[in-house]
Amino acid sequence: MTARSGSMALGEMTALSDRPTPSGTNDTAGARRIATAFGAAAAQGRAALIPYLVAGYPDAETSLRIALAAIDAGADLLEVGLPYSDPLADGATLQRASGVALHAGATFDRSIALLERIAAARPATPLVPMAYANQVIGGGDGAATARRLTAAGADGIIVADLTPDEGAPFEAVAREAGLAVVYLVAPTTDPDRRARIAARSGGFLYCVSLVGVTGARASLPPTVGRLVRDVRAASPVPVAVGFGVSRPSHVRALVRAGADGVIVASALVDALGPEGLDVAALGRLVGKLRAATNRT
Amino acid sequence: MTVTTHRPSVPDRTADAASPGTLEARRVARRRGVVAEIAARRAADLSPELAGLTFSGLARAAAKAPSPRPFAEHLARPGLHLIAELKRRSPSVGTIAQPNEDAIARARAYEAGGATAISVLCEPHWFGGSIADLRAVRAAVAVPVLAKEFVVDRRQLPLLRSAGADAVLLLAVLHPARRLAALVDDALELGLEPLVEAHDAAELDRALATRARVVGINNRDLRTLEVDPERAVRLLKRVPADRLVVAESGVRDPDLLADWRAVGFDAALVGEALMRAADPRAATAAFVAAGAMPNDPAIADRTPLVKICGVTDADGLLAAIRAGADAIGLNLVPGTPRALTLVEAVALARLARDASARTADRPKIVAITADADPAALAEAIAAIDPDAVQLSGNEPPESVAGLGRPAWKVLHLPATAPRDLAATAAAIVETGRTYLAAGTQRLLLDTAGGPHPGGTGVRPATELAAAVARELPVFLAGGLDSATVAGALQAIAALGVDVASGVEAPRVAGERPRKDPLRVALFVKRARAARLDRPHGPARPTPVHPGLLEADANGRWGVAREFGGRYVPETLMAALEQLERAYAEVRHDPRFWAEYRARLASYSGRPTPLYRADRLAAVTLATARRLLGGEAAADISGRLPSRLRLYLKREDLAHTGAHKINNALGQALLTRRLGKSRVIAETGAGQHGVATATACALLDLPCVVFMGAEDIRRQQPNVLRMHALGAEVRPVTSGSATLKDAVNEAMRDWVTNVETTHYVLGSAMGPHPYPTIVRDLQRVLGDESAAQLQAVEGRLPDLVLACVGGGSNAIGLLARFIAESDVRLAVAEAAGDGIATGRHAAALAGGTPGILHGSRSLMLQDRDGQVLEAHSISAGLDYPGVGPQIAALMTAGRLELAAATDAEALASVREVARVEGILPALETAHAFAVLPRLLAGLEGSGVRYPDETVVLLGLSGRGDKDLAALEREVPA
Repeated sequence: MTARSGSMALGEMTALSDRPTPSGTNDTAGARRIATAFGAAAAQGRAALIPYLVAGYPDAETSLRIALAAIDAGADLLEVGLPYSDPLADGATLQRASGVALHAGATFDRSIALLERIAAARPATPLVPMAYANQVIGGGDGAATARRLTAAGADGIIVADLTPDEGAPFEAVAREAGLAVVYLVAPTTDPDRRARIAARSGGFLYCVSLVGVTGARASLPPTVGRLVRDVRAASPVPVAVGFGVSRPSHVRALVRAGADGVIVASALVDALGPEGLDVAALGRLVGKLRAATNRT
Repeated sequence: MTVTTHRPSVPDRTADAASPGTLEARRVARRRGVVAEIAARRAADLSPELAGLTFSGLARAAAKAPSPRPFAEHLARPGLHLIAELKRRSPSVGTIAQPNEDAIARARAYEAGGATAISVLCEPHWFGGSIADLRAVRAAVAVPVLAKEFVVDRRQLPLLRSAGADAVLLLAVLHPARRLAALVDDALELGLEPLVEAHDAAELDRALATRARVVGINNRDLRTLEVDPERAVRLLKRVPADRLVVAESGVRDPDLLADWRAVGFDAALVGEALMRAADPRAATAAFVAAGAMPNDPAIADRTPLVKICGVTDADGLLAAIRAGADAIGLNLVPGTPRALTLVEAVALARLARDASARTADRPKIVAITADADPAALAEAIAAIDPDAVQLSGNEPPESVAGLGRPAWKVLHLPATAPRDLAATAAAIVETGRTYLAAGTQRLLLDTAGGPHPGGTGVRPATELAAAVARELPVFLAGGLDSATVAGALQAIAALGVDVASGVEAPRVAGERPRKDPLRVALFVKRARAARLDRPHGPARPTPVHPGLLEADANGRWGVAREFGGRYVPETLMAALEQLERAYAEVRHDPRFWAEYRARLASYSGRPTPLYRADRLAAVTLATARRLLGGEAAADISGRLPSRLRLYLKREDLAHTGAHKINNALGQALLTRRLGKSRVIAETGAGQHGVATATACALLDLPCVVFMGAEDIRRQQPNVLRMHALGAEVRPVTSGSATLKDAVNEAMRDWVTNVETTHYVLGSAMGPHPYPTIVRDLQRVLGDESAAQLQAVEGRLPDLVLACVGGGSNAIGLLARFIAESDVRLAVAEAAGDGIATGRHAAALAGGTPGILHGSRSLMLQDRDGQVLEAHSISAGLDYPGVGPQIAALMTAGRLELAAATDAEALASVREVARVEGILPALETAHAFAVLPRLLAGLEGSGVRYPDETVVLLGLSGRGDKDLAALEREVPA
């Protein structure tokens, strides 16, 4: 961001580094657990695999089975989407899954319960919920939400529509709770901004692979390798790549490009089948993706 | 005419068909410099003519010529003036008119078309002109004539004056600085107004170093003949505003003159386009009209008043009257430089009254006093009969009452910057309020150090003056001149300006200062134009929290800056920052707003009328009476106004049938500036979709409109209109398949296509800077209405009422009135089945703080932050959120809330249609439906309205699109 002569109303845009308390959340307990998981995968010559599931999809019980199956099939960390009525960063698959979950009675309380049960069953795997800003800080500063998530076993949180520009107050309460706030960079993020976001991200940095919404793709953009290399060079924390990552070949390409982790979401929801019940198929896909994370 | 003795570098094409062609000719020209060659030839041609003649001899002869017609004085009048040129040929294009062209007839046509001056080419070889042409034209017209000559010898000047020239062109490129300055002095001495022309920064600096009052900036490089259409606009920034500036070359279309007027040129010189016109009178009239001051009520509302103070003689007084000053100050303070004797003051006051007897707005005569002896003051008032008395000394507030005339009080700012600016400003504001409370009509803000405004010649610290003017209605006084007045008026919300020394001729020792008529005219012109096409600068006091008026640097609104912001996926941040940067540039760029205003006027029918709906007012009062239990008139006396004047702002008459076109057109123009090639939009009722499709058709942009499947069903006519306009309508089936989901889908498209696409958001909501952009583009509703109401009511309304969904119509209408503490603001939300049922769209009445579609505001949501579906029969209001500025107003208690159910809205549509013959949109009908309840105090704050109440209601759109719903929902 460059300073420019602004109007009276729009004023000068404050650079990220000028905002109050932008110290990030990479020194939290949650961030350390996340770092450990990335470190363990790296020590095995792998990138970390981060499957995503929608809490409460297709129903509460099945989503627990899905979580455990994903972990058992090789997940290094687990991203748990908190279903939202208006997921504007998501494509058709995750919109639908969110809608089904809400229709089936998903609430924040039930998502907390799910996180607790996953954490109790598989305590070694870091859990990173994904939410939208209104669910976290819409009604306040998010302190209560951060505390409840941490208490339920969450180590970090991804907020799809929260950037560091608006994130400082939430970082403060998340740090208090021990929760890492994971930020995203996109292909449209310029290099200066990318470096500033990376410096603020807790646990890892989420690199959006493409210009668009979530959803399985037949192929990733040809520029993704370059993007991953650039982002990784700018980031003090591990870089995990998501959006559109669907197939083992995608994973292999990202690993070759240097990704520290890969996030697979819509493809796994697709693998569950139209009813969302084919947990075995999901497990098989996670296994294949896990195999593709090896660097050699 | 062919040139045989000397072959020009760029020959006349028709004369020499075998010439090597334009390109080759230009290449030659670039090396040698065309202008130098012409000048050399001119010198050679003239030398036998001038042999033996002396400048002084020629000057003596010139003095006998008819006196010069004022040229600069004409250019100092408001607007951009046309200097129409007679030119038979030019080295850049060759022959323009045949040698037998009747120059006299054409000059007369220029004059009849309204040209301010006529330029006559005098150079024979390249331009086919002559001194004879100049002489003949001067004799045939009554307007000033500019000699377009290549002046290479000072003796040409008196010759040209003798031939009748009133002004003369001096080319900076031909002369070093000292010679240029000497030529300017010679010309001024002869009464020949020099127009010094430059085409680059160095030449312009040479021109500005002379005493020339008029400078020209040529888009054409006279050495290469190449035209850069932006050259003049770029270079204009180097010219102080106390010079008159003429733009030259490259004019094909009258629209360019509107552009040049907006950026601040005083005149345009147009030749070829007029010479080629088959009907030169009509063509001239078109160019003149394009440069004229725009006629726009919203502008009038922001135009500053001007007081010319310390007039000391008849010339100065008449100059002030001619310039259209609003007030003229006659100084009665003994011992000050401009002090008048009582006899002089009486004579000047009488002259002012006589001279302006026939004009509608006679300037106010203000007697300037300072701590005057009461008896002497009474005598002076009786003798001068002033319209007001200015108190410039330390008169206490009590002295105001005894004057017997309106009092104008001067407030003095400290001459040096105070240590604590805020405290100093607050103290001055407090003092000013005391004087206002004591009955003072006007306040002037002047630097301390002298009891006579303007006398100190020091401009008050801008920051301090701005802080005071934000709270108090003041005239700014002290140290202003035509170079500085516009900047001051753009930075400070003053109602007017007061000037004395800044419009005077250079002082002569021992003589009383005298006003310079040209400076007076130019000062008034610069002041009046300062806020033109700058609709977002301060123009009047706004004594409310800034958070209710403007977003801060982070896009946050509200007293606690608790609303707004930018909550979007990272992918969109770059686009929003680009949009923010681009908009910050255009927000104060008069060219953008001039084009926008012109398009709104000629294309979408602005200003829309303000209509007084008397029949509906009677029905509304009757309904209100019934709501109060049908009590006898005596019982409800005082609870209802006895008279209601209901004014409808007729946005239904705007092109496409709603206010939405204002925003769509503005953002489409913005899309061009952003360099994007595709437009997306969301729509609820379809009005914004239709407006965007319309603007995109006009500007040739592909357009995709996202619309909920449910809305497509209930707003079919608008879907068909969008198709007809060439837009693609994409149905959205997710969620409730209404406006909210259309916004989601539009954002998803934007995330995917952000590099090529601009998202034309339709409401004053969304991530920063959208709420500001949309509000800015819609505030014309309230700005126009205020001026229109002033014209018919002489005051602002008691209540402004608008329906609100996302809030573009509401904030557009309300924005003008937020800082007007006497004006109540109310919005009508959609209550759907009734707010108590939970099936409604009332985000203000029934919502809680949350983040929706990129910003924090009030919204309908459950305890988990899941967005609730809104319910309203009106697709345009069927939205669970509201814009952040509206939420801020409501939270601060500046907004009264009301809501109408679906059934009430339908009933109102029918009622308004039958009573007034106006079919309002279902959205608008919500405002009509709540008005009786607001007046009866059953909704809103409950505070009673005055007995005679003026209401401004935003008739945001027409209801044709809702006919199917009206048919479906037959009243029970």
